[in-house]
Amino acid sequence: MNVKTRPHNNTRLKLSLWLALAGFIALLFADIDMHRASPGQELLRMAQGLMAPNFWSYREIASSAFNTLAFALQGMALASAAGFILALLYRHPAVRGFCAFIRAIHELFWALIFIQLFGLSPLTGLLAIAIPYAGTLAKIYGELFEETEAAPRNNLLQSAGLSAFFYTTLPLAWRPLLQYTSYRFECAIRSSIVLGFVGLPTLGYHLETALGNGQYNDAAALLYVLLAIVVSLRWWLKKALLPVYLVAALIYLPPNAHFSWANIARFLSEDIIPAPLRNKANIDYVAVFDWLAMLWQQQILPGVTSTLILSQIALLLTAILSLAWFPLNSRQFFSPLKRSLGDGFLIIARTLPEYLLAFIGLLLLGPSMLPAILALGIHNGAIIAHLLGRYSGELVLREDACTGINRYSYEILPRVYRQFLALLLYRWEVIMRETAILGMLGIGTLGFYIDSAFEEFRFDRALLLILCAAILNIIADMFARNLRQRLHLRPSPETL
Amino acid sequence: MRLLTVLTALLVSSSISLSALAETFSFTAIPDQDESRLQERFGKVAAYLEKELGVKVKYVPVKSYAAAVTAYRNNQVQLAWFGGLSGVQARELVAGSEAIAQGYEDQFFVTYLIANKRSGLSMSDDFPAGIANKTFTFGAKGSTSGRLMPEFYIREHFKKSPEQIFTRVGFSDDHSRTIALVQSGAYELGAVNYKVWEDELAAGIIDPSEVSVIWQTPSYPDYQWSIRGDVDARWGTGFKAKVKQSLLNISDAEILAAFPRQSFVEATNDDYQPIKDTAMAIGLMDAE
Amino acid sequence: MFELHNISLKYREQTVVKDVSLTIREGESVALVGPSGAGKSTLLKHLRSVQATKIAWCPQHAGLVPMLSAYHNIYMGGLSRRSSLYNLANLLRPFAGPKTEIQVLAESVELRDELHRRADELSGGQQQRVAIGRALYQQQAIFIGDEPVSAVDAIQADKILSLISQRHQTIVLALHDTEQALRVCQRIVGLKDGAIVFDLPSAQVTAEQLAALYQA
Repeated sequence: MNVKTRPHNNTRLKLSLWLALAGFIALLFADIDMHRASPGQELLRMAQGLMAPNFWSYREIASSAFNTLAFALQGMALASAAGFILALLYRHPAVRGFCAFIRAIHELFWALIFIQLFGLSPLTGLLAIAIPYAGTLAKIYGELFEETEAAPRNNLLQSAGLSAFFYTTLPLAWRPLLQYTSYRFECAIRSSIVLGFVGLPTLGYHLETALGNGQYNDAAALLYVLLAIVVSLRWWLKKALLPVYLVAALIYLPPNAHFSWANIARFLSEDIIPAPLRNKANIDYVAVFDWLAMLWQQQILPGVTSTLILSQIALLLTAILSLAWFPLNSRQFFSPLKRSLGDGFLIIARTLPEYLLAFIGLLLLGPSMLPAILALGIHNGAIIAHLLGRYSGELVLREDACTGINRYSYEILPRVYRQFLALLLYRWEVIMRETAILGMLGIGTLGFYIDSAFEEFRFDRALLLILCAAILNIIADMFARNLRQRLHLRPSPETL
Repeated sequence: MRLLTVLTALLVSSSISLSALAETFSFTAIPDQDESRLQERFGKVAAYLEKELGVKVKYVPVKSYAAAVTAYRNNQVQLAWFGGLSGVQARELVAGSEAIAQGYEDQFFVTYLIANKRSGLSMSDDFPAGIANKTFTFGAKGSTSGRLMPEFYIREHFKKSPEQIFTRVGFSDDHSRTIALVQSGAYELGAVNYKVWEDELAAGIIDPSEVSVIWQTPSYPDYQWSIRGDVDARWGTGFKAKVKQSLLNISDAEILAAFPRQSFVEATNDDYQPIKDTAMAIGLMDAE
Repeated sequence: MFELHNISLKYREQTVVKDVSLTIREGESVALVGPSGAGKSTLLKHLRSVQATKIAWCPQHAGLVPMLSAYHNIYMGGLSRRSSLYNLANLLRPFAGPKTEIQVLAESVELRDELHRRADELSGGQQQRVAIGRALYQQQAIFIGDEPVSAVDAIQADKILSLISQRHQTIVLALHDTEQALRVCQRIVGLKDGAIVFDLPSAQVTAEQLAALYQA
């Protein structure tokens, strides 16, 4: 992207150029028209709403805020326990594959599946968060364990086994493990909010209603509560209080469900069986092939294509925005006061879930890929910019280093570029996952067809399409990991 | 200390819609328009049914047509106000289900195609062939009046799928949003439930200088109350008949106006065979 | 006990021990001496690797778990004697049994007051003594130590080395202090450039031999 920064490092430069090229080519095929006569007017109404938040329905706000936290707490508790156990077995390729698979399916897709089994129940919300998060946590925990210093373990009589693990590996990995887990809790709150969009009683439920009906004063109140929860995390999320919170969450929202065994049995033995195979004694291969060919042609291929196109553009925008924004949070460019303002903006942008941003974008800009691209770029760009700003702040420059734009391009950018690429590649898989999901808002990515399949009660199609989305994510993950290894890029795990 | 008391009170009092008691008779409705109106409409129905049936009755709000069907299927609700298509889908999924009552107007329901003034289209009796190559939004993906019937007539006329006819096809999720999207120009055309259109026109929400009706479909059966077959086993013999009679007896003008329907009349599953056939014809349901 | 025949060993891709043969019998106390880079550590690691689970091992770098207490770091020597569940519980709250054992042990390596401090808060010498404590708590018949007392003052060092001798049948140490080696061990093996220059009983080693070892 920036040709001058690393003239001596061809591979990184080449990768940047390829990513930029891919983004621009994707842009040629993307549908990014604006379909709204007057977005300014709607924006004005939203701004007015933000100025005058309506907290009158405080009971509804409070109960949905508690629900949001309860889902996040319970989901994370189960996910970290399961992730921990899986991480212990992370050496086994089967476990690795299993974790990659469960985290490749987005929590919203898990929610859609569990709604079929357990209805719109607390159990659905709990499992929808816990399962994909367990896969992610297992991976990160597993990597943290692998990266611990080997010496203390090797000095023992027996370096394998649980005892050695608990006395050496675990204490050595404990701090980053806690840090990552608390970062993930913040993500879980976002996920919990987004689950409201499919009907679980979290803040997202009321946000969707308020935004969709243009009640921006109500939406503003919910938005402020959301921000307050995430920003205040550092003050109330204390290790010692976690058990108290968890018990409170379980009492407030016991994970029960509405379900009947007959329904579950029917779902598993009938609904998800591909239609041409259902209730048939003999397999009709022609019918199965036709069914697959029809789905491939009408849904999978267009869905995958738009997912790839949209995610490549979003990746490019993320790259541009993160490079443009990271000085906002960097000691090298701004005084502490100005920096706290800049970081404030980045915190807000990264706190709002992509799904919510895209939803608002659709209201403003009308239906096209544009709102989704902006949402993904802003959210992910802010995350990278925040981390990159902090990283660049730790650099020590010579006394007489230049300032302003010269400092940015000659001193800082070359030094942070490697870190930047590493972070960007980490976000790739995340962007891909989210891109697929944004289809549920009506953009033609895989999520659109998955949502349609659920709306038509064709769970066989839904599951096949979810499988396709999962495979796409796994490929993106493998590809990005491969690139990272080839380029020797390795950021801190907080950035996933 | 006081804060703690307030918090505890809040925790206890804010009842969660999810943990319904077993004895409560619950119902839902497809979210076909502005949610605050749904709450108003079905809150009244719940109060009325509670009085008539002598059991606790609760309205469970949901986010999508599919969620309404799923809640019905999982027995989270036993009664539902479905659209033609969602009713067919629900009764297909829950054996023993019955359509028991429909609005008087639902016997001959229609869909309006509406257009933004910039489309240059105006009202016509014949199918408006000029809609091709414009942008078009349906309502919810599972809506009868917002998707199934208009798509059927569009396909019938052009012999092509909507994606091939229009430059962009969207799903707005409900009729209020369809009207708003076409009025704002985000889409040039839309398909909307005629009852919601007339309701909102009367309420002054619609700006007739921006958006107008350009065609109406032939009539078809639409909304109905469907009930699970196993309610008698839970609430006693004759409960289903009692629910049916209570619905047919609704005469409170306020409740009726909230739907808006002039009255409720008897319905049967067979009334909706045409809907099922149409759904199969356009590939929304698999032929058996 | 140990029998090496013409073995060569690599460290970071480089052959640092060439064609060495060495036999150590039960009950011997052997010191490896020689300049740094002579291959002492590599040779010791190899000796340990032959039967790692039966050898008390004290490495050159303490290799402690910094965030755990000195007590837990010493306790680690005895992990394999107890069940995982017992160990796990002891990690959360030390049991009285091992606590008394380790207190006695800690006194002998002069760590009594430091037992409950985090390992990374201890000085270099204290950390090394924790590592020795861990090795002693492994309670094996053979002790292998790679410069086990390099960061401990001379008087303490001699006390600790004699404690190690008392508690183990066979000991093999790498020591840079040749005087110390002669005092503690019965047999001295001189190493230079990955080869054994001499292998003699302590009494027979001459000052010239030692001096030659350290000459460039």
